[in-house]
Amino acid sequence: MDQSTVEEPTVRVVERPVRQDLPGGYAGSLLRVDLTSGRTWAESWSPEDMRLYLGGTGLGARILWEEVPAEAGWDHPENRLVLATGPLAGLPVWGTGGLSVVTRGAMTNGATSTQANGFFGACLKYSGFDAIVIQGESSRWVYLSVHDGVAELRDAASLVGKDTWETQDALQAQHGLSGHQMSVYSIGPAGENLVRFAAIAGDYGHVASKNGCGAVMGKKRLKAVAIARGSGALRAADPRGLFQAADEIAYDLKTNPTARSLYEYGTLWGVLALHGQGALPIKNYTTNLPPEGTDMTVWEAPSLRDGFDHRGHQCNACGMHHCHMQVIPTGPHRGEMVDEPEYEGWAGAGWAIGCTDPVAVSWLNTQVDRACVDVNEFGWLVGWVMECQEKGYLTKDQLGGLEVRWGDTEAAARLLQMINHRQGFGNVLAEGVKRAAETLGGPAAACAIYTLKGASPRGHDHRARWEEMLDTATSSTGTLETGPPIHPTEFGLPARINPLDPDAVANNMGRFLGRRHFEDSLGVCIFTTRTLLENVCRALSAATGWEYTKEEAMRFGRRTAALLRAFDLRCGLGPELERPSLRYGSIPVDGPAKGQSVEPHWEHMLDVWYEILGYDRRTGRPRPETLRALSLEHLIPALWGK
Amino acid sequence: MAEVRSEIGNLKSDTAHVTVEAIAWVTQFVGGDGTRRKVFKEPTTPGATVGSVLLQVSDRFLKLRDVLWERPGGNLGEHIEVLVNDTVLGVTHTLESRVREGDRITLLGQYTGG
Repeated sequence: MDQSTVEEPTVRVVERPVRQDLPGGYAGSLLRVDLTSGRTWAESWSPEDMRLYLGGTGLGARILWEEVPAEAGWDHPENRLVLATGPLAGLPVWGTGGLSVVTRGAMTNGATSTQANGFFGACLKYSGFDAIVIQGESSRWVYLSVHDGVAELRDAASLVGKDTWETQDALQAQHGLSGHQMSVYSIGPAGENLVRFAAIAGDYGHVASKNGCGAVMGKKRLKAVAIARGSGALRAADPRGLFQAADEIAYDLKTNPTARSLYEYGTLWGVLALHGQGALPIKNYTTNLPPEGTDMTVWEAPSLRDGFDHRGHQCNACGMHHCHMQVIPTGPHRGEMVDEPEYEGWAGAGWAIGCTDPVAVSWLNTQVDRACVDVNEFGWLVGWVMECQEKGYLTKDQLGGLEVRWGDTEAAARLLQMINHRQGFGNVLAEGVKRAAETLGGPAAACAIYTLKGASPRGHDHRARWEEMLDTATSSTGTLETGPPIHPTEFGLPARINPLDPDAVANNMGRFLGRRHFEDSLGVCIFTTRTLLENVCRALSAATGWEYTKEEAMRFGRRTAALLRAFDLRCGLGPELERPSLRYGSIPVDGPAKGQSVEPHWEHMLDVWYEILGYDRRTGRPRPETLRALSLEHLIPALWGK
Repeated sequence: MAEVRSEIGNLKSDTAHVTVEAIAWVTQFVGGDGTRRKVFKEPTTPGATVGSVLLQVSDRFLKLRDVLWERPGGNLGEHIEVLVNDTVLGVTHTLESRVREGDRITLLGQYTGG
């Protein structure tokens, strides 16, 4: 078919009801899509539910619990793929183009909450929807087109095999829309071939990467979601108050000493800062020291940015100097356009696999995004292959003649292609490092970095950041669930703790759980909420007309965490799996955390964490009194049988 | 890594010295441009602690004082990570730990991104 011709829609629906009762900030409808029947429809949701579930992760958690039964695994048609924005998306607050992807993911076969930004959230809201809820499985490849209340499933045969950037190029050309006129989130070849750590990426460089959400989309044979920027208006309940809150958040981001580094350079400072703390993952956790002679000034944020011809690539309504596009200046890929890596990209496509050349890392990172897999898991997987080949656990013949040495990004890119298309040993690697290590067995199995639930740790060496190891291992989202405490003194927590003090670590993680779920339910980037939670609540209150306090925000977050935990328990992910793998929990042999072992403290940290949260230590379940306190009484019969 | 060295204080031969280094982002709070590092040789008196050395430096640089402490002489704030001899404060040293000749205190920007 000629790509310049827009097809007749397979299905054309959706009339949106006019709502007079909505809180500000909401479009008022959920777009439902059943890929099995090809049906799409709009579903209203009530103001009461909006306050209770907000949007994003909160809304997604509710849908998972209510609609995905235990027997519906990640690859079952009844699994839901929720692409949800929130009440701030599309409003004039920085970074409000975001979406949360919530589903039962392929890595853990449990709940997933993973975020991306760009323009998706704003475009969807202007088209009249707060979220898209996808179920079923198409018999052929399709993509979902949304524009001003019209939702269409269209044939995607011509898109199959394209990477995420090519898919966006093709759909924008097909629809005659460019730039910010259309947001496209898609899967690449990896998702099409059900690579277990496949991601969903959009708007050239934004990736919802965790827990194999791209494999879920691929199983449903949904290649892309393309949303034209709608013409609908969003109402803020208190426009003046919203502008004031937005200005104060922006002022805080520009002047707060920690947030300002993000404001000026995004996550580029990560490599240097984490290296200093022993938290930069180098060569699959085999060392914490850069190779002899490495010039670390190259890894300072200004050097990284100015090492490339670059320009800003901001998300919706964002004033941060964060996202950038850049051009490869030297080497075999000179002249290619790439997206400036986030810290996680510098780590996963670089340090974790032994590469210390920013140009090579930058190129490889974009190949990973385009293909499109989680760069963290990619780093752990390729680093594991490199270590195994170096130690003779994995032969050149097993890799089809491929030699993969530390730092070789070209070989890593060839591995990526093998994985994407499940060629040869790539078919084993496509299952992720946990399953690949279990398949290979022997000493190779002890070198792999993962949690026993199957989740991929972020691109840090958590042996020097026990907070994040505990968070990752206990998480019900397939990734960090709490993250580093932001302004901890706002909650009466100490400004700083010893990162290797088990009591302080467990206390911080227990008491801070919930803030991120709140942020991820608003349709806003977490880097633009690096401000006092009170400020974010003021913006939400002005947008909606509610009086929303930080206490309600944390309670909301706790409720969402308990709901996701209940879902994970129903999926069979219990407390016995809340541990790091051998390598992930090993003792650093050098660097700032040399000799420090988390293992003797692990059970105690869990004890403290469980007690703070009111979860039962033996079964992992939120206790009945905890559920009542969170207005989740309706979960008690399912969890406790009474 | 290139260094900008500042020798501060009275360098008598019988005075113990501790090295204080501000790394990259933190240099902007001690007169730098936010890149590379600035290194200070701090003279110390008997009984000097990690905390007293940090107070000594931050008394000279008001911007540093504002970001380093919740309040001067109190707890450290949330913006600067402090390392002693390459180990995060709290592991082998606290603010009350005595410093020794040749100890190195590193001030690193807090990182809360990705």
